[in-house]
Formats: sequence, structure tokens, C-alpha cells
Amino acid sequence: MEIDRGDGRKPNQLRPVACSRGILNRAHGSASWSQGETKVLAAVYGPKAGTKKNENPEKACFEVIWKPKTGQIGKPEKECEMILKRTLQSICLLNVHPNTTTSIIIQVVNDDGGLLPCAINAACAALVDAGIPLKHLAAAICCSLAKNGRVLLDPNKSEEQNMKGFVYLAFPNSIQSVLPEGSLQVGGEPVEHGIITSVTHGGMSVDDYLLCLQRGRAACEKLSVFIRSSLK
Amino acid sequence: MEQRLANTWRMTVNEKKFIETALHSDLRIDGRRPFDYRELTVKFGREDGSSEVQLGLTHVMGFVSSQLVQPYRDRPNEGTLSVYTEFSPMADPSFEAGRPTESAVELGRVIDRGLRESRAVDTESLCVVSGKFVWSIRIDLHILDNGGNLVDAANIAALAALLTFRRPECSLGGEDGQEVIVHPPEVREPLPLIIHHLPVAVTFAFIGDENMVVIDPTHFEEGIMGGRLTATLNANGDLCAIQKAGGDGVMQSVIMQCLRIASVKAADITAKIRKAVDSYNTERALSKIRRQPASVAVQVTEPNQIEVKELISKHKEKLMLKSEEGGASHSDDMEIEAQSSEQDKSRRRDSTSKSFVGGPLSWDPYSKGVDFEELQASIASRGGTCREAREIKI
Repeated sequence: MEIDRGDGRKPNQLRPVACSRGILNRAHGSASWSQGETKVLAAVYGPKAGTKKNENPEKACFEVIWKPKTGQIGKPEKECEMILKRTLQSICLLNVHPNTTTSIIIQVVNDDGGLLPCAINAACAALVDAGIPLKHLAAAICCSLAKNGRVLLDPNKSEEQNMKGFVYLAFPNSIQSVLPEGSLQVGGEPVEHGIITSVTHGGMSVDDYLLCLQRGRAACEKLSVFIRSSLK
Repeated sequence: MEQRLANTWRMTVNEKKFIETALHSDLRIDGRRPFDYRELTVKFGREDGSSEVQLGLTHVMGFVSSQLVQPYRDRPNEGTLSVYTEFSPMADPSFEAGRPTESAVELGRVIDRGLRESRAVDTESLCVVSGKFVWSIRIDLHILDNGGNLVDAANIAALAALLTFRRPECSLGGEDGQEVIVHPPEVREPLPLIIHHLPVAVTFAFIGDENMVVIDPTHFEEGIMGGRLTATLNANGDLCAIQKAGGDGVMQSVIMQCLRIASVKAADITAKIRKAVDSYNTERALSKIRRQPASVAVQVTEPNQIEVKELISKHKEKLMLKSEEGGASHSDDMEIEAQSSEQDKSRRRDSTSKSFVGGPLSWDPYSKGVDFEELQASIASRGGTCREAREIKI
């Protein structure tokens, strides 16, 4: 059964993606990422001296500031900051600059669904623009489950609101050409199949979730190729 | 505390002396003369009431939104206007998130005074039910990049956003005529705000001891200036506000000279803003024609450029008339369509954005609207990503 998406896309089709880096002058690194109408601007300052209280001084510390388009900063923004911080902590090399703080500021320019994955992608691009040492990149995507059980990739806002549930996924994005044949394998799968982040909204069955993971990973592979080519 | 001090950026004595010495020969470090403005670009975003202004290296975004609220007790017939400024930490390493600093508050107040007390925005037209419901207009200004002279850039962003903002139309209904029904944009055309004039802020910096004045300071010049003067005026020559908060004492003759120069610059900037807004409105009007139901088939024919330009002005007139009457009706749109269906549709496909100066540029590569057939045809495989919109800038 073919699903009619509002803008005529097929279930596995992503919205057009655009990325530009180096748009701000004062920031050490900046990037803008847009997927369809959703557009996010990310800026990176760092590393700066000193870590925050309660943070490990042996490692680099990250500080994420999320700025919504209008309105006060509330709990949802704090949650996004925390998710983004943990995601970025896992992709950065923390031991290269111990006892420093890197600030990442995210400005939402337009929200049309899939905001958190867009922000993760923008933040990665900004970190690359700033030259912060990273283990690997992250590619993030949103997969949603429609009421009739179909999995739709990269929904926009109106689609998100009609879905049974959706999940934001971030996968690592390593240089596959460098990894030799017998590279790190955990339980038979190559490491780059791991999930960095998964945030779900709404309910779905375990099978549906695993299906979303599969589709998400396939989409992220395509997205990784785009990211790599745009970051050259 | 030491961490913050370690991170602040200070001007060295060498830089200070260099800038001052250069100013003795009427030269500024970016090559401008003392009374030249930097290049101003005004762009608009997807939604109504969102603007992005670039003044040299300074980058500011403005968003306008509206809400129905209860009016203030002492002004039951007037809507409200509020300006919120966000000095985002991405603009400058010394800006911190959290409580706004003095300069952020000052900037917000200067812009607010320029708009409110000069009665630039007509607040009485924002009243729906006297004493119960009025429209509250909220302007959010996000400072993205601090290249100096944030006041002017933020002011322009606020004006541009206000000029392109459209508030939903509402009517009274219900049993007692007191209930307000807000019509969504698809049903009734949203209305622009009534703006009487454009108060433009012009900032001067006083550097050194010998009465050296520069206009539109960069952040290096701001780091060494002794005092600052912001004059808000409109193109009619009315002075809306002046702000000179402390700093070095300046002779009266210098102030008068600054005001004279400011009135010239304000007229200039007003013209630029109006031009950008006009071209945005034209684009918007054309995209409205495109948004009509797909009952008219898309035909690919060669556009006739001369006819096209006439049609553009005709459409603009027709649509302006329509919005004056208030409320769009589908019959009008169909009429316009019938006149020129083929040329319109094909014109849309070729990016004739070249004929419109200053239309929404590279914000969204699909700002002209996504052509669904083209998009689907360009996706090669299942689960593929569309890479046409890739922009690579370094």
C-alpha cells in the first residue's frame, strides 16, 4: 500500500539537504544545515581554558547552548542540549585537550520536523569547521512509524504530528576505506553499525523499532556519503 | 572567574595606535572613509516576518510573531509591541548565555524606543475587542555574529521583519459577538501591519582626542572608542531618538554635524530596506499564484520575457487591491490564473529570480518551491538523498 506523503515523497526518500560551513566570522567554526524547511545554525567556540564544575578535568568538556527561534528557554530545550552534549562527547577525542571547554551554540532558524537530527548534523559540521579533533562523524536521521505500520523517513512537522511514534537516530560515520578487512567487530557486526543516539517519541513495538533502525542506518549511509563530500 | 577573564579579548596598544593614526588621514582599517557605511544585505526567510540582515561582518536575524492577549488597563484600545534581544553566545566569545548584559538591554531599549515612541507601528489597528483582545506583536532579534554596530543592524532586521510580517485576520462572532475567530492563512489572507514610517538607527563612534568621528564602527573600532552616539531618524527628517550614554564629552558642533550626516544615511538605508521588501513581496505574490490548487495543468512552454514583466506588475496590482479589500477569494485567483496560466507556470520553473533583485537567496535552495516531479525524477535509488541542494562554502 503506497502512502501519500504530503509533499509527494516516497517513504524512504529524504528531504533535500544543504550544508554550508564557515558562515560566521567571529566563531571558530560554524555551519548551517537544512533538511527541507528545517534549518539549524551551529557555531563552535573552543577550546577555552578550564572546565566547568563537576566535570572531569582530565578530559575536554562540552557545553551546548540551544537557542529556540522565539520564546523562553524551557525544559525541552534543556533536554535537547543534554542529548546533543552526550552525542558529541561520544564522537570527540576527549583526551587531546584536557581541562578545556568547547562551546557549541545551536540556533534554530526554522523548525519543520526532524529538528534534533538536523542539529546533530549541523553541530558535527561546525566541529569540523573549527578543527576540533573527532573520532568519527555522526549522521542523524528521523524515522517515523505511521499509524498503519509503514516506516517513513525524515518526516516534516505535519507528518510528525500524525505519526504513531518517531525516533531520532544518530549513527557513527567512519572512513570505511581505511578500515581493513578484519577490523573491529563486535558480535559479528562492524563497529560503524553501532547507534550513538536514539530518542523515541510515542509508542512502537520492538519489531517496528528494529525496522526503523534498519531503515535509519541505510539512510544514514547515504547521508554519510553526502556529509563526507561536502566537508572536503 | 579567572576562566572568563582569560577568555576575554582585549585590544592591544599597538592596534589602538594603528587605528587612531590611520584615522588622522581619514582612513579606516577596512578601507572605508569615516562616513561610509558597510555593505548592507537584507534577506528574508521562509515565513512571513523573518529577516536576516548582514551589515559588513555583523549578522542579525529578526523574527516577528503575534498573539492575542488582553490589553494593558490604561490602554484598552491599543495593541502591544515588545522587543526581545538575544545576544547569542555564537556572536562573540564574551557573550554568555543567561541573563542579558547591559549592552543587550540597552540595544533592546534603543530599538524599542525608536519603534514605540515614534509611533512607527500603528497599535490602534491591532485592537480587536476593546479592553478584551488585542494583538501583541513580539519581535525577537538574534545576534548571530558581532562584527560591530549591532544596534543599526538589529534595527534594520526589526524593520524588515515588521514590514514583511502578516498577522492572521480575525473576525468577531459567537452568540454575543464577543468571541474572536482567528482565520488560518489558507482561508483568509493574512494582513500586513500598518507602519507609518521607518525609524532607522545610525551609530557614530568617537575615537581619540581630536574629535574624530566614524560612522558604523567595526568591533575593532568599538574596542577603542571613547564614546558612542546612536541617532534614530526616519526618511522624513524626523528625529525619533538619540542615545548617548556616557563616554567622552563631545562638542555640540560635532553632534550637529553627526545628525546632519545621519539624516542622509537614514534616507539611504530606508530606500534599501524598501527595495528589498518590495522584491520580497513580489516574489511572495507570485508564489501565491503558484500555490493554487492543481486544477490547472502544468504546461512547459517558452516564457515570453517582455510579456512576463507586464504580467508581474499586473499581478502585483491585482493582489495589492485584493489585500486592501481584505480577504482573498478563490475566484479572483482563478481569474488571474486564467489570464496567463501557461506563462506563469513555465516562468516559475526557470529561475527568473534573476529579474528580482534581492529576493530570498541562498537560505533555502528550494525557496522557489519544490517541483515535485523534478524532485522525484532526480532521486536515483530507493532511500537515496537528494544532493542537488548542496552548497559548499569554505
